[in-house]
This record gives sequence, structure tokens and C-alpha cells, in this order.
Amino acid sequence: MVNDLAVIGLELAVVFAGLGVLLADLWLPAARRPHLALVTAWVLGLILLASFGIEAEPVRTAFGGMYRLDALALFFKRFFLLAALLVTVVAREFREGFEAGHAEYHALTCFALAGMMLAASAQHFALLFVALELVTVTFYVLVSFPRRRVTALEAGVKYLILGALASAFLVFGIALVYAATGTLAFEALAGRLETFTGNRLVLAGLLLVGAGLGFKLAAVPFQIWAPDVYQGAPFPTTAFLSVGSKATGVVLLLRVLFEAVPSLTARSGPLLSVLAGLTMFYGVLGAIPQRSLRRLMGYSSIANAGFLLVGFATRSTEGVGAVLFYLAGYVFAVLLVFLVATLVWRGAEADEIATLGGLGRRAPALAASLTLGAASLAGIPPLAGFLGKFLLIRAAVLGGAENPALYWLAAITLVAAVVAIYYYFGLVRAVYWGEEAGSASVGPVSRSARAALVACAAGVLGLGVFPGPVLGWARLAARGLGL
Amino acid sequence: MSPPGLPASFPWLSVLIFSPLAAAVVVAVLRRERAVRWWTLAATLAVAAAAVPVLVGFDPGTPAFQFVEDRPWIPPLGLRYTLGVDGLSLVLVLLTVGILPLCVLASWRYITTRVREFMIGLLVMETAMVGVFCALDFVLFFLFWEAMLIPMALLIGVWGGPRKVYAALKFFIYTMAGSVFLLAAIIALYRQAGTWDLRALMGRELPLAFQVWVFLAFFLSFAIKVPMVPFHTWLPAAHVEAPTAGSVILASVLLKMGTYGFLRLSLPITPDATRLLAPHLCWLSVAAIVYGGLTALAQSDLKKLVAYSSVGHMGFATLGIFTLTRAGIEGAVLQMINHGITTGALFICVGLLYERLHTRELAAAAGVGRQVPVFAGFFGVFALSSMAFPGTNSFIGEFLALAGAFQFSLPVALAAVPGVVLAAAYMLRMLQRVAYGGPQNPDHTGVGDLNLREVLTLAPLLGLVFWIGLQPGPLVRLFAASVGHLLEQTAAGAPPLAAAP
Repeated sequence: MVNDLAVIGLELAVVFAGLGVLLADLWLPAARRPHLALVTAWVLGLILLASFGIEAEPVRTAFGGMYRLDALALFFKRFFLLAALLVTVVAREFREGFEAGHAEYHALTCFALAGMMLAASAQHFALLFVALELVTVTFYVLVSFPRRRVTALEAGVKYLILGALASAFLVFGIALVYAATGTLAFEALAGRLETFTGNRLVLAGLLLVGAGLGFKLAAVPFQIWAPDVYQGAPFPTTAFLSVGSKATGVVLLLRVLFEAVPSLTARSGPLLSVLAGLTMFYGVLGAIPQRSLRRLMGYSSIANAGFLLVGFATRSTEGVGAVLFYLAGYVFAVLLVFLVATLVWRGAEADEIATLGGLGRRAPALAASLTLGAASLAGIPPLAGFLGKFLLIRAAVLGGAENPALYWLAAITLVAAVVAIYYYFGLVRAVYWGEEAGSASVGPVSRSARAALVACAAGVLGLGVFPGPVLGWARLAARGLGL
Repeated sequence: MSPPGLPASFPWLSVLIFSPLAAAVVVAVLRRERAVRWWTLAATLAVAAAAVPVLVGFDPGTPAFQFVEDRPWIPPLGLRYTLGVDGLSLVLVLLTVGILPLCVLASWRYITTRVREFMIGLLVMETAMVGVFCALDFVLFFLFWEAMLIPMALLIGVWGGPRKVYAALKFFIYTMAGSVFLLAAIIALYRQAGTWDLRALMGRELPLAFQVWVFLAFFLSFAIKVPMVPFHTWLPAAHVEAPTAGSVILASVLLKMGTYGFLRLSLPITPDATRLLAPHLCWLSVAAIVYGGLTALAQSDLKKLVAYSSVGHMGFATLGIFTLTRAGIEGAVLQMINHGITTGALFICVGLLYERLHTRELAAAAGVGRQVPVFAGFFGVFALSSMAFPGTNSFIGEFLALAGAFQFSLPVALAAVPGVVLAAAYMLRMLQRVAYGGPQNPDHTGVGDLNLREVLTLAPLLGLVFWIGLQPGPLVRLFAASVGHLLEQTAAGAPPLAAAP
């Protein structure tokens, strides 16, 4: 038992950080409560640093094999910690948008983070479900946090209903799988799967599980909620949704597809490729006419889910490594966009892209940061986003030797990537060439926000030019899946 | 590999590539506009000076890549940081670093807003352009190739004319679309050959069907950059709206990226497909020559006129390349250099005129030559050079390209000859109007002639016009060995012709 607790030390630290923030809120005078954001950020940063002291080898397990601490899990835990750290900085800048309960927001971020980190290690459907619910339920609150804003409440209700539906799918699917095979552990399931070839119950159960995870990922056909919820949620939540929540879906899908049911995945034919293509096109085509930044990012998030699915569809170590690297670049680019957006609009409800007009003159540094983020998302070399897409397409082409359908997928990905450039360019255009939208100057940028901006910009650039170390981790993590 | 007399390990090419970037960082912290201008000028001149050791140390006798730098870059992917120049890339590197100081000078008065950002844009462009010419790793090449895109679009879109956003977007989308095909070809080649190294890719025997696909992908990407008819429509828009320095960079260097791509990638990597498709591309080039000439004849806007003349001139370059003869390719390389010098100079001239008259209309500029005789002199020489007057630089290039065409196919050559006449027609029309035409225009009174800075901007180009025109030998010798090697790689070696008249 004590051993088990040592293995999940990172998650425990995050949970205690969340509880600590909640408690500190009770005793701190009101004037000093806003500092809690910085404290949270520092603590998360320290935990992130500490995570680099943990060795992935040898692989450790806890709770009777339900929980597994391997390279893949560590990669995602660091990813989630980084995402939450940056989201906390965004939330601090967004504080004018919250009437009350700053501490609660940061605590909830920590709890969601703990769920994500647990999900990264899931080796059992029970842990998968619990971790996912911890994330989802926390997000119900985070989405509708500004509780007097109708849009936020509307988004919260939509997320609640569709999220509950997805959870129902998931739990029903898990039940079917258990009914048929008698096990919920991934490893045992993988071993027994051969004897259940053609069993409709298992197939139906796994499809339902896939639906539940597809909802997290915002992949077609479970993507409908994304633009609406993204648009209504406060900025930091939207950022966290598009980075953390999506990555949770990614890691769980990886675990289920390649660890729980590898033989079935190998026989799934073009299913993943088709879903990837549809998701990409739904996202990029839907994004073109958008005028609201968050709604645009919602569609962009769907498109990116499609790009990530390309890596899944290759069913190769190359592809999964590309997925992980893509996510690493994605977190910096998305946070860059949301940081700038938060600094410009400061917790206001509006987020019309047109009102960014003239930012290039009002705040050149912010405009440059936004451009950098959008360019990376668009996949312009030499930024991280380009290398991510490049790796994905490369993996698809390399896999084409065995599975010629992947050549088509690579071609479709290229086309989608080009269309994507168009709508991200719209952001850049608004910033530099848009109609001057009022002369209101952007307020001073706090030191923490500045540090986060620099870190994100460095990440976007650094991952593009010197991707060596991160790519090495991504490949190491991908190899653990034994493809 | 490194020539004697120089430390073998000194990374000259990296210095050439990254010193503009370093200079751009310094620009970012400079406070006063005056300091920004002088610093950028000094930096670009220093980069040009840094190219001298490369030129001196370069051994023109061998077609091998020289000054090679090779370091691991992204080991997990097998990507390497590989640089090197041969004769072809060297002359284009020299053109690039030589033209940049003139761009700074040409922007001295023209650019009045956001000077610092403009100069940063110019320096970043220089890094990317030199990088493209030096890269020997395919992904590195692509990286530099794409890195040109955003700064150039910004140069057009921020400091351009009234329809700048439209022009910048059009430029961006066209070239981006081309790049995607280039990227697809790069990945396909890696899939087939298992290497990103350009040197290893050259001379790989690839199946013909695969070669054709790769060639077509290359073609789309490069034909847009050149631009070849019918992919040229972004060019007039971009040229007309771009500021002077932007037009100069666009005409002098960026258009060369397309022809350089053909020479560096299409010919040696897909030789069989090139031989198969070359006749069609020759006809396409002829179409560009004639179309560009005819359209230029009909323009009333000076910048548009020069822009369309670019389409025609680059047609001669692509024609020379796809004749696959020694004369043709040497002519094409010369034409690339000459077009860089002459058209760059013409765009500077048009910019100078615009600064004085605030119009580029041919009718409004008629007769201004009376007020500004020095300007008219320069303008006249460059116009003559542009129509390939014997004794000026363009003559040699077009002559060789046409000579190659005659070796290749008589109908093609005969169809291209009217292009020469058309060039004379539109250039003389422009020159006649601007320098001599029309009655005294009251708007022109008090228009000042060129000052020292402007003379200094144009004088080096004037010198080059005559130097290359009268004595092209030294320049041709720089790349003759590379062209010979290229012909061997394309395996269509025509009987060797005299290297240069």
C-alpha cells in the first residue's frame, strides 16, 4: 500500500496542492488571495521539475496492475503538468472575468490535472472510467465558472448533457466488455481477445468505449459540442479543454487501442483513417467562416483531433511518436494564442476576431506572439506545428508500403493542412491589417504572463528547430506500446 | 574539401546565413530610426564582404560541393545540418548578398513607417534566401524555403501600396500551395530513397513513373515561384503593391528560387522524367516569353510593365534550362543573374521615379527625363540591358539560351525569337516616353535629379551590366564545371559548346 502511494506520488502532490489552495483561501485575507494563482503555478512548476527525477525504467505498477508508470505515462504527466501550469497563468490574467472563487478555480484545475495524470497511467477500465469522470465532472464546473454569464451557463449545460451521454456510452461499453470477457484489466483483455474474435458483444462494447473517448478527443462523429462549449467557456477553461482534455482522450485511446485490444486494432481496416479524414475536414471547413476566436479554436481543435488521428491510423511507433510530438508543440501554440487573447480582452465576454484590429500597432509584442502561435498551429516552418504535421505525414507515407490507403490519408492531411493555413492567416490579418478597433491600449502585462509568453514562444520555436530531446522522449514513450 | 589558405573548419556558409539574423536581433533593440538604417546597411555590407572569402576560396574547376558543413541536427529522423555550395549556388549567393545592401539604400527614403520592422524583415529574408541556396539537406532546404514566405508576405502586406493585403494574401496562398507539393515530393523521395541528403539523392536511379510524379510536384512548386505561365498571376499584383526593396528582392532573388529548384532538384534527381517532359516545358517557356512580352507592351503602369517583362525574361531562363544543352543551361544561369541585376535596377528606378512624381503612370511620367538627366541615363542603360542590347549583360544570357533552343528544336527557337523583338518594343516604348516623350509637363518642374545615395545605389548595378556584358568569361567559369556535371547527371550531354563567346 505504501509502495503504491509512492508510485502515484505525482498525482498525490497535485491533489494536495489543490487542497492546499482551497484551505489557504479560507485563512488568507481577501486582498492577498489573488496571489494564490502564482503559488499554484509555482507548485505545479516544482512538481513538473520533480517529475524529471523519476525514471521510467524499470516500469512500476500500483494497485494490482491497474496503474502503470512507464515512459508513455511520464510523457503525458509532464505534458499535463505543463498545460495546467500555463492555464493557471492564463486564469490569473482572466481574474476580472470571475466574480469570486479564484482559489476554487485553481483548485479545480489541480483536480482535473490529477484526473488527467491518473488517466495517463490507466491499465484497467475502472481506473480509466474514474480518471475520466474526475476530469469531466471538474470541467462541468470550470466551463460555467463565471456563473452569471448566460453564455457560460449555456456552454456548461451543453457540456453536461453531452458529457453525461458520453460517460453513459463509456460505462455501458465497459459493462459489455466485462460481460463478454470477464475482465477489465487491459493486459488480461489483450490476452483473451483472440478467443472472442467475432464476438458482437465485445465489438459493441469497444465501439461504445471508443465513442466515449472520441467525445473527449472531439473527433467526428462526437465533435458537435466542441465549438459551442469552447465559445461559451472562460478563456483558461477553453485552453485547458483544447489541450488537457483532448490529450486525455489521446492517451486513453492509445492505451485502449494498442494495449487493451491490439489484435482488434490491427484488424480495424480503414476505420481510423476514415475518421481522421472526416474529422480534419469537419474542423478545417467549419473554422473558415468563424468570427469568434474561441469558436474558431473550437473548430481548430476538431481539426487537430483529426491530425492526431492520422498518427493512430498508421498503427506504427512512428505514428504514435508523431502524435506525442504534435501534442507537445500544440500545447505551446494554443496557450500562446489564449494568453494573448486573455491579455487583450481581460476577462471580457467578447472575443470577436475583428476587435483584434490594430493590435500590431497597439501591442507589437503581443501581436508577434499571437502570430507565432497561429503560425505554429498553421504548420509554418520552422515552428513546432510544422514539424508535428511533417512527422505525421511522414509516418503515414512510411506506413503506406503495407497499407496503401495511408497514401490517400497523407494526401488528405496535406490538403487539410493547407486549408488550415487559411483560417489561421485570418487571425494574423486581423492583427496587422484589420480595421483599427478602438484605440484602447492593452493594459500592462504582468511578469508571470510575460514569462509564460516567452516560455511558449521559446517552446514553439525550440521544438521546431531543435526537436531532438522531445522527439527522443516521444519515441521512447511510443516504443513502450510495443507496436 | 575546403580550399587551401583557409582554416578548413571555419563555417563560412553558416556565417553567411546566420549573421543577418544576428544583425536583425540587434536591430530589434536599436532605438533611433537613423541608427537602424545605418546599422542594417553596415550589416548587409559586412555580409557581402563575408562572401568574398568564399568566392576567393572557391575552386571553379570542380563540380563538387565546397565549404561543406555537415553536423547532426535531428538524429532521430536522420536529419542533418548540411551546407555546401557549387558553382550554381555560389553565383546566386553572391547575387543575394550583393543586392541586399542596395535594397537597404533603396528603402532609405521610401520606407518611413515602422523602419525597424522593415529592416528586420529584410535581414530575415537574407538569412532564408542564402540558406536555400546553401542547404544540402532536403528538409533544411524546405525549412529555409518556407522561412522566406512570411517575411516576404509581410514586406508586401505591411509596407505595400493600396491593395497590399490582397497582393500579400495572393502571394502567400500561391507559394504555399506550391510548397505543399514540394513537401509531398520530399517525403515521397525519402520514402523511396531513404535519405534526405541532396547529394545522395542525385544520381539515384528511381523508377520512371515515380520520377514523373516527383517531377510534376517539383514543377508545380517551382513553376509558381518562377513564375511560369499560367501560374504567374500572383506576380504582377505582388510587384505592383510591394515597396521598392520588396520588388527588388522579389525580382532579383525570389524568382530565382524557382529556376534554382529546377537546376538543383528536378534535373539531377528526376533526369529521366525531365528528358521526357522537357519539350512540353520548352513550349510553356515560349508561351511565357511571348505572353510576358505582349502583356508588357500593353501596360500603362511602369511597375506592371517591368513585372510582366520579368515573366518574359524568366521564360528565357526556363527555356534555356529545359533545352538540356550546355549552351542553354549556361545561358539560363546567366539570365538568372542578369535578370537579378537588370530588373532589380529597373524596379529601383521606378521606385525613384515614384518618390519624385508619386505616380507610376507612364503618361504622367512622360518627358520627366528632361528634368533628371542623370536618372534618364541610368534608366536608359538598364532598359537597354533589359531588352538584351549587345554589350550589356542580358545579351549573353539570352543569346546562349536561344542558341541552346536552336540546338534543341528549331520550331521552339523560332517561336521564342519574337520575344526578343517584343522586349525591344516595350522597353523602347517605356524609355522613349519617360526619357524623351511628351511636351513639358508643368508637374515636373522642380523635380530633383538623383542625389549621391541614389547614384551609389544604381552605380554598382550599372558596373555589373557592362562588366558581364563585355566580359562574361570569369562569371561563366564559376559555374561552367557545375553545369557540365549537371548535364552528365541528366545524361543528355550535348556535344560541348564553347563555354562563352
